[in-house]
Amino acid sequence: MAQERPKEVRSEFLYFALRNRKLRVGLGILVFFLLFAIIGPFLTEYDPNTYAGPSAQPPSSEFWFGTTTFGQDVYSQFAHGLRSTFIVGLIGGGIGTLVGVVIGLLAGYRGGMVDEILNMLTNIVLIIPTLSVLIIIAAYLAVRGILTESVFIGLTAWPWAARAIRAQTFSLRTREFVDLARMSGRSSLRIVFTEIAPNMMSYLFLVFILQFGGAILNAATLDFIGLGPTRGMSLGLMMNNAVLWAALQLGMWWWLIPPGAAIAAIVGALYVMNVGLDEVFNPKLREM
Amino acid sequence: MRRYLGRKLLIYLLTFFVAVTIDWLIPRFMPGNPVDTMLARMALRADSAEVLRSYYIRAFKLDLPLWQQYLNFWAALFRGDLGISTWLFPQPVFQIIKRAVPYDLFLLLPAIILSWIAGNRVGAIAARVRWLDNTILPLGYILTASPYMWLAIVLAWALGNVAGIFPIAGAYGFGLRPHLSWLFIKDLLWHWFLPFSSLFLVMFGGWAIGMRNMIIYELESEYSRYLESLGTPQRLIRKYAFRNAMLPQITGLALQLGGIVAGALATEIVFAYPGIGYMILNAVQNQDYFLIQGCFLFIITGVLLANFIIDLVYIVVDPRTRLGMTGE
Amino acid sequence: MRGSKFLTVVGLLTIAALVLAACQPATVEVTRIVTEEKEVEVTRIVAGTPVVEVVTATPAPAEEAEVTYPRNETLYTSGKQWGPPTSWNPLQPGSYAMGVIGLCNETLFLYDPLKNEYIPWLAESGDWVGDNVYEVKLRQGVQWSDGEPFTSADVVYTFELGKLDGVYYKPLWDWLDKVEAVDEYTVQFTFKEVRYQEWGNTLYSVAMVPKHLWEGRSEEDIVNGDNLPPVGTGAYLYETHSEDRMVWKRNEGWWAKDALGLSVGPKYIVDIVNPSNNVALGLFLKGEMDLSNNFLPGIATLVEGGYGVQTWYDDPPYMLSANTAFLFMNTTKKPMDDPAFRKAMAYAVDVDEIVTKVYGNIVQKCNPTGLLPVWEQYVDQDVVDELGFTYDPDKARSILAEAGYQDVDGDGFVEAPDGSKIELKIIVPFGWTDWMESIKVVANGAQAVGINLQPDFPDFGGYWDQLTGGTFDMAINNFGSNMSDTPWTFYFWLFRNPITDVMSNGNFGRYDNPEVFDLVVELDKTPIDPEAMKPVIAEIQRIQLTDMPAVPLWYNGLWAQWNSTYWTNWPSAQEGAPKYLPCTWNGYWNMTAILMLTELEPVQ
Repeated sequence: MAQERPKEVRSEFLYFALRNRKLRVGLGILVFFLLFAIIGPFLTEYDPNTYAGPSAQPPSSEFWFGTTTFGQDVYSQFAHGLRSTFIVGLIGGGIGTLVGVVIGLLAGYRGGMVDEILNMLTNIVLIIPTLSVLIIIAAYLAVRGILTESVFIGLTAWPWAARAIRAQTFSLRTREFVDLARMSGRSSLRIVFTEIAPNMMSYLFLVFILQFGGAILNAATLDFIGLGPTRGMSLGLMMNNAVLWAALQLGMWWWLIPPGAAIAAIVGALYVMNVGLDEVFNPKLREM
Repeated sequence: MRRYLGRKLLIYLLTFFVAVTIDWLIPRFMPGNPVDTMLARMALRADSAEVLRSYYIRAFKLDLPLWQQYLNFWAALFRGDLGISTWLFPQPVFQIIKRAVPYDLFLLLPAIILSWIAGNRVGAIAARVRWLDNTILPLGYILTASPYMWLAIVLAWALGNVAGIFPIAGAYGFGLRPHLSWLFIKDLLWHWFLPFSSLFLVMFGGWAIGMRNMIIYELESEYSRYLESLGTPQRLIRKYAFRNAMLPQITGLALQLGGIVAGALATEIVFAYPGIGYMILNAVQNQDYFLIQGCFLFIITGVLLANFIIDLVYIVVDPRTRLGMTGE
Repeated sequence: MRGSKFLTVVGLLTIAALVLAACQPATVEVTRIVTEEKEVEVTRIVAGTPVVEVVTATPAPAEEAEVTYPRNETLYTSGKQWGPPTSWNPLQPGSYAMGVIGLCNETLFLYDPLKNEYIPWLAESGDWVGDNVYEVKLRQGVQWSDGEPFTSADVVYTFELGKLDGVYYKPLWDWLDKVEAVDEYTVQFTFKEVRYQEWGNTLYSVAMVPKHLWEGRSEEDIVNGDNLPPVGTGAYLYETHSEDRMVWKRNEGWWAKDALGLSVGPKYIVDIVNPSNNVALGLFLKGEMDLSNNFLPGIATLVEGGYGVQTWYDDPPYMLSANTAFLFMNTTKKPMDDPAFRKAMAYAVDVDEIVTKVYGNIVQKCNPTGLLPVWEQYVDQDVVDELGFTYDPDKARSILAEAGYQDVDGDGFVEAPDGSKIELKIIVPFGWTDWMESIKVVANGAQAVGINLQPDFPDFGGYWDQLTGGTFDMAINNFGSNMSDTPWTFYFWLFRNPITDVMSNGNFGRYDNPEVFDLVVELDKTPIDPEAMKPVIAEIQRIQLTDMPAVPLWYNGLWAQWNSTYWTNWPSAQEGAPKYLPCTWNGYWNMTAILMLTELEPVQ
């Protein structure tokens, strides 16, 4: 009996997951773009930065998404940019969640002075001038790549997650099973990671999804104001260039619209998935 | 209780001190220095540039050892002196902030408060009206999920350039002299509308979704079920759910308001609207130590104050917090 | 409802706050200065404190009524101001608001680069009356905007200010001995050392300030004050400013009306602060901006596309050339210390690709000497024919091969003659998009001939630090190659010496050659006469093209585009059009841009 239970849970989860329309739609969009990001770059012979053709061409059979002012292939930029978007989301969101989880759990479980100090740390990170930190990092690393940007975003985005997790932990730490664990004399670190964390797994996953989306949006903003990666291609950089070279005013909508729309679609899909997953994890919400 | 508050206060003061120190230190690690950047912008002949360089380095006291600059900074701060900006030389930092912040308040205060009220209302209703849940919410998702700058630029271009309904730059007509009249106020609002609505839309989506999810949680929670089984009227249950769901929303609101001094960088750039966000970006890019310090001083104060107020509110409203207060 | 009432209050409060903020320049201290003829109102912003001192002021009714600037009397400009206007002090060259020098504070002469002529302005004439004495006769009947006459005392005072620390023309006193007022309208300058070229440059760039208002100020206030409101002799008066604009109003009592029969067309000039070129282009296309001095991408498309956009030329390069973009190479580092290597770089860069692809033909490929078109007469064609270069990758490869640069390890890139690896970076500031694209072309060109050169984009502070500190490999820069009255400014920048730890502006590559340094000094001491200057300049060119310390690439344009919906008779290359510089940047009002305003006519 005991061995069969997990299977049961999993299939029940799958059953509801597959039946949930929000999850299906969100996941569908996400998988579509993910595949695009993986396969897309192989479908074009042009490097995103080379001057491949005549300038400012509208989409055509030769240049599927048109060309930029310099004659770069917008499709190639888009496909490569999509890749970095997922990289930023994964790494940035991953780090953001990880740090947020550790700090949130510790602060929430230990409370007292530990909580105060971690709260202080959270507040400081919240109000640090991220822009200048970014410039400094750039100065020391010489090259500001997608990876640096992702790590940076992750390291500055965790406070929100930490706050939310801390609150959740607060309510969990008074539950019976935690008390039980405590009475058995286990160390608090072990209790946090063996008792509390697993019980919040679904919640943590949701936090990750939100951080994932947030990292993508953050990266887009940084790229947009000109503090993005100095090497490589990203959707935000595309938008930054399109605006700097007045794409809209000169009628080159194909340069500015696709990257923004793709980000909106990806992050939107993540958010919808988030609600869907929420319903799957919390049976109570399913009727809705 | 008093001990708890005292400890909180102490922690906040400590946070303030550490944060201000970090923000003082960080720009000084950037390559180059404010005087060189300032001179580069002047593109003077080299002999003139050299004369000014040595003068300004002395005038801004950048020739002193770092620890002395740091002490000077605190000493000046206690006198209420934030120094002089190098980017916007020769204006005092305090003046610059004072002139720019009203535009941000005018833009952000209504955007934050109105979107919060509207978002919470709509979110709460969407939580129980199915068709609304299927129309407004997806819209909200798209709005919060799109990169704000992109959305704003497309909005400005479509409504400002193509349709020509709204102005695309400035706080009021460039042909207008500020004065007190309906004409001026009308013009002011007309220029304000597009930046405001772009902020409102994006924030609205966020609040609405948050509220909707929160209410659903509450409606499905044990106490709601229990009340329902007791035969409590739906209205009353919803009222309780709404109340409980408000708590995180209030936290969010306070945090947003605390950060208001940071301005709305993206909005200011896209709509060429004056404000502190654009100042901060430029201060950083021009390595203007003094303007950076000044701006962040206000931001730090705002954020910490908001946090402190939230803490106080929670003690009053949420008994669970009090439990955690005693700690270990 | 409770909520809505609260909202109304919040709404009203914020509107009130903003109206107050916007009206800040109106919280003023009004002082009246009564002169013989008329009352002049001097408005002074009092920061923070409300009215400090109000002397009975009967507001001039006609003026107060004007709350909007009539469109057909107002010129909207943009391109100079990248942040809120903050200074009206002509002694602060980097900070002063658009037009302070030129519209308000004027210079003794104007200089017309298109005709290579000095135009007497506040001075009526100026001549060398002795070996080392220059005499300026001032125009009579010139008044400061507060009604005081402009006299030789003001000129002496202005130049004497240069003795203060922190005034940018302090180096003048290294070779200027004294400035004396001979009479009320005659000033004599006596020199320790006569530097004709530098002096010519000074005559049209130092703006006069009123002694009677300035002499009571502390040194601190003179150098670091914001001088609001500015009092000048110029065609415009300070009207108002706010975070996003600077407004000038026509000075009806401008001296040039009587003296030269000139009057400026626009009653108001509103200069718009531009946070981005994107917004500037939007405003411009909407017809809300008349003259834009921004770098607007795609302007060629707009000129050709019938958007009503006009530029100096109707065809490429559309713009006048304003300065030269150079490829600087750090001669203190290997292999840039080798002239052969530097020459190979010159042959490796495909400038045409930069001109057509990156700039869409709004810039021009430059002459191998780098001299701007306005200095064309100084180009020694013989030297250029003998030593000049063009894009020729094969030639670059052969130069490298001859000098011993070979690909030893077979990675596609050459190694230095001593066998060491070459890995170089070329930098421009991040965000300077046109330059960022340009150095990609430069790097591609270098890689094609076997030089491992990679583009890199540090933030401006880092870029400038590397450039002035001498830690860079290669970089693009143009900060001192601006159009002026003499190629001396250009060479002074290119061959700035002595070589110090920090090269503030110029000779970033630290090219050290006393011979050329002496020639630049010799040029400075040569009288302003093209025939006398040419032999010296030819010598400089020979050394420059032989050693190739820096490679001139293209001429940046004098970005200027305008719209004739509200104002006409713009200067341009067209026949019959006025020939003045259409530019609002610092230093251009006194290079005839002010005369452009006298030609502008409103569209009826």
